Amino acid sequence: MTGAGPGAAESGPGGGAADPLLTAAELAAIHRHAVADYPAECCGVLLVRGGARPERRLMPCRNIQDELHAREPARFPRTARTAYYIAPEDLLEIGRREGDGFEVRVIYHSHVDAGAYFSETDRRNAMVDGVPAYADTTYVVVSVAAGRIADTRAHRWDPGAATFVEVPLALAEAPAGRESR
Amino acid sequence: MPVSVYIPTPFRRATANAARVDVDAGDVQQLLEQLEGRFEGLRGLVRDEQGQVHHHVNVYVNGEEIGDLQGQATPLKAGDEVSIIPALAGGA
Repeated sequence: MTGAGPGAAESGPGGGAADPLLTAAELAAIHRHAVADYPAECCGVLLVRGGARPERRLMPCRNIQDELHAREPARFPRTARTAYYIAPEDLLEIGRREGDGFEVRVIYHSHVDAGAYFSETDRRNAMVDGVPAYADTTYVVVSVAAGRIADTRAHRWDPGAATFVEVPLALAEAPAGRESR
Repeated sequence: MPVSVYIPTPFRRATANAARVDVDAGDVQQLLEQLEGRFEGLRGLVRDEQGQVHHHVNVYVNGEEIGDLQGQATPLKAGDEVSIIPALAGGA
């Protein structure tokens, strides 16, 4: 469901002057995605193309963790209740958009009946050969408890501390622009 | 035969920040060998010591994952587009 799903939000050129981590509309879309996918973890990215007229595209992705678990349970012991794995077609789409000048501003996922912490699994998978895969990207984790949003926290690589640390979840009102569902 | 290779953000530190690299290769294995020869930092990032593509890395030829094609023996022709993309995963 590349670019679709329960909470796609998109703003085109002519958006607001601010360049927030997330707009209120984007966060609301992420929350809808997290609730819709409960009791599975949801996942997605926010892609931003900078410049004088920035473009933002929230891209809910498909979590294929259950498929991986069913196919190779020894290699993928977890189900989607406690893990996410973004579908290859979504990875390819992200790559295409990176090639078009977008950057991965946010990678989000949910934790089911667990806190919005950046887990050891999250940390391990965010590294490639000992180096953060997306050092300039903020990881947003949404806690969904009993089917309701309980908490949302942002985490980011701190080069000084050489680890991921929690950062403020800075929001802004949705800029003018189109929004799709 | 020139093939365009897309290098994603996580691997660009190994390619001097190049997002696209043109490679002359007849198949995916040759392409990966040439890339590793040209960019030493890519060695180990994409394939293991046995030359197998890491499980957490996906290689696509014109949008199709090579696991659904002929693996590293997948032939390439001029104008093909190859993408090398690491997995995005995690969990509680």
